[in-house]
Amino acid sequence: MSEQTQRTAATMNKDDVVLRVDELVKTFGALVATDEATFEVERGTITGLIGPNGAGKSTLFNLISGFYEADDGRVSVNGTDVTGLEPYEIADHGLIRTFQTPRKVEGMTVREAMLVGPREQPGESFLKLFTSPGTVGAAESKNMDDVNRILEEFEIDHLATQPATKISGGQMKLVELARAMLAEPEILLLDEPAAGVNPTLRNKLAEQIRRLNEEGTTFLLIEHDMEFVMSLADPVIVLDQGSVLMEGRPDEVQSDTRVIDAYLGG
Amino acid sequence: MSLVEDPKGYWTDLTVAEKGVSGAVVGFALLLVFSLVTGGLAPTYFLYLVGLAGMYALLSLGLNSQWGFSGLINFSVAAFFGIGAYGTALASASSSPLPYDLAPVVGLLAALVLAALLALFIGIPTLRLRADYLAIASIGLAEVVRLIVLNQDNWTNGSEGVRGIPGFFDGWPVLGTLPETMPTLVFGSGPGATVLNTPFWQALLNVGLVLALVGVSYLVLRRAHRSPWGRVLRTIRSDEDLARALGKNTYSFKMQSFVLGSLIMALAGVFYAHLNLYVSPGDLDPITTFYVWVAVILGGSGSNRGALFGGVVIVAIREGTRFLNGFEFIPFAAAPLRLLLIGVIIVLLMRFRPQGVLPPQRELIWPKTVDEAPEQLDSGVRETKAGER
Repeated sequence: MSEQTQRTAATMNKDDVVLRVDELVKTFGALVATDEATFEVERGTITGLIGPNGAGKSTLFNLISGFYEADDGRVSVNGTDVTGLEPYEIADHGLIRTFQTPRKVEGMTVREAMLVGPREQPGESFLKLFTSPGTVGAAESKNMDDVNRILEEFEIDHLATQPATKISGGQMKLVELARAMLAEPEILLLDEPAAGVNPTLRNKLAEQIRRLNEEGTTFLLIEHDMEFVMSLADPVIVLDQGSVLMEGRPDEVQSDTRVIDAYLGG
Repeated sequence: MSLVEDPKGYWTDLTVAEKGVSGAVVGFALLLVFSLVTGGLAPTYFLYLVGLAGMYALLSLGLNSQWGFSGLINFSVAAFFGIGAYGTALASASSSPLPYDLAPVVGLLAALVLAALLALFIGIPTLRLRADYLAIASIGLAEVVRLIVLNQDNWTNGSEGVRGIPGFFDGWPVLGTLPETMPTLVFGSGPGATVLNTPFWQALLNVGLVLALVGVSYLVLRRAHRSPWGRVLRTIRSDEDLARALGKNTYSFKMQSFVLGSLIMALAGVFYAHLNLYVSPGDLDPITTFYVWVAVILGGSGSNRGALFGGVVIVAIREGTRFLNGFEFIPFAAAPLRLLLIGVIIVLLMRFRPQGVLPPQRELIWPKTVDEAPEQLDSGVRETKAGER
């Protein structure tokens, strides 16, 4: 047994690791928000990340996606060390995240907001707008087709020309997921995708995540809705006080006394 | 829908705001024509005002590409304007303490380079931070630039200002001597006659220059605004973290938007120097910054047409109020109240139309990308909410 596996309760040395978090530490003053968190996410899985309030789930997401700088430890995506990189650089390595509260883009329609998703658009270079408008136009048309296709797949194509700020919270979550998919992530980090979403839309959301997973995207999702996460994720990693408490199949996690204790504050 | 092919369809396709603004513009133009014909407004002075309006339009376009596009709060509009004006003045004026006496075109380039350097200087430390820091730093920057211009006598002539600035076209093959070679035209007779002489042609040439500058800037910004580049900026304005999470290098985008806007402001300064033929540290007073902010907010943040409109309205208010003193029935000097008037307008605007008079009216997607879906054409961001039909 290596040193690492002794320090974490997570399952290590998985076959095809797309995201690896290594003894990540983050403190805010005296509060240790992330305490040597170590785990791996295997390609092709929907990995759940649960834990009681204050367990450090969102901090961990911010550390992985580059929004916070870690005090110690390493994050690697596809075997490449991305620790300390800017969020956009980490995105270039194939890791995209969403946010707990849907982010609103004012003054845009849904399809405009969706068009922000694709990465490395030629039209994002100011010079190319004037030197090669044809390329920009062609890429924009292609992206527009992708947007229309993905909106249809998500069954929200009727929202395409609605103002992006005037749709319901649940629809915003769907749009956010759809937009993240346009960035073609290898691994997508979802921060509470089902929070504030009504049961019908929640089922739809779960369906979409499952479908996208079958098409090859790896997911890591934080979720408080136990029913949602247990039906969707395998394996489930339990976080408590900034470090990994255990990892296992949903049924293992649900019957584990340490997990129950953690949630009951024992 | 083209205005030429189908004027009626074009008109019905406009939004309420667009119709209102078009009507106001036409009405104002008629008023101006009336004043010109009746002799209430001297043609040469009128052209000077048009030049001033163009200058404010440029400044507003510049600020719009910073604040309107990316949400960058720049309180040093006057500094970039001043850098433009002083850059070209010092390079080309005969009384310049710098011994160059370059052509105005070289002065233009020098001014643009200076403005870009200044933008980088202030942008590099602040654009990685929260939005407020740029605002704070830019207030300081404006004062620092103004005080340097005022006190570095050996470079800038200090409070005396720079005189003897050549016209922009001086030394050009045909345009350089055009005002002198044009004939003097006289309309009417007696003391009320309208005389179109050399100063008039000079002013006309200046108006041509500013229209060209405004036109090019507007076309560049319009294309940029409708592009994926502009879309990233608009995302940054709403939520920078979202743009970062989607893999956009927001620092770079903000820097591009900031430098671009600063260059356009410097263009306005360059034009001003060659219009006024004299620049002084007073031109860098923060009041200019204030006027330009009012223009952009009035026109509608994020809208290039709104910025044009706002710039013209500001000049109309600033210069139009001078005529108020001529009305005998107003028992006090009304002109000094123009700042109060602008304040009242801003309060009313914020209360009743916070998005400005002419905010962006339609979806901003690269032209021809969505044209093949005509049933969705008229369902952008409109007054009548999209989809509720």
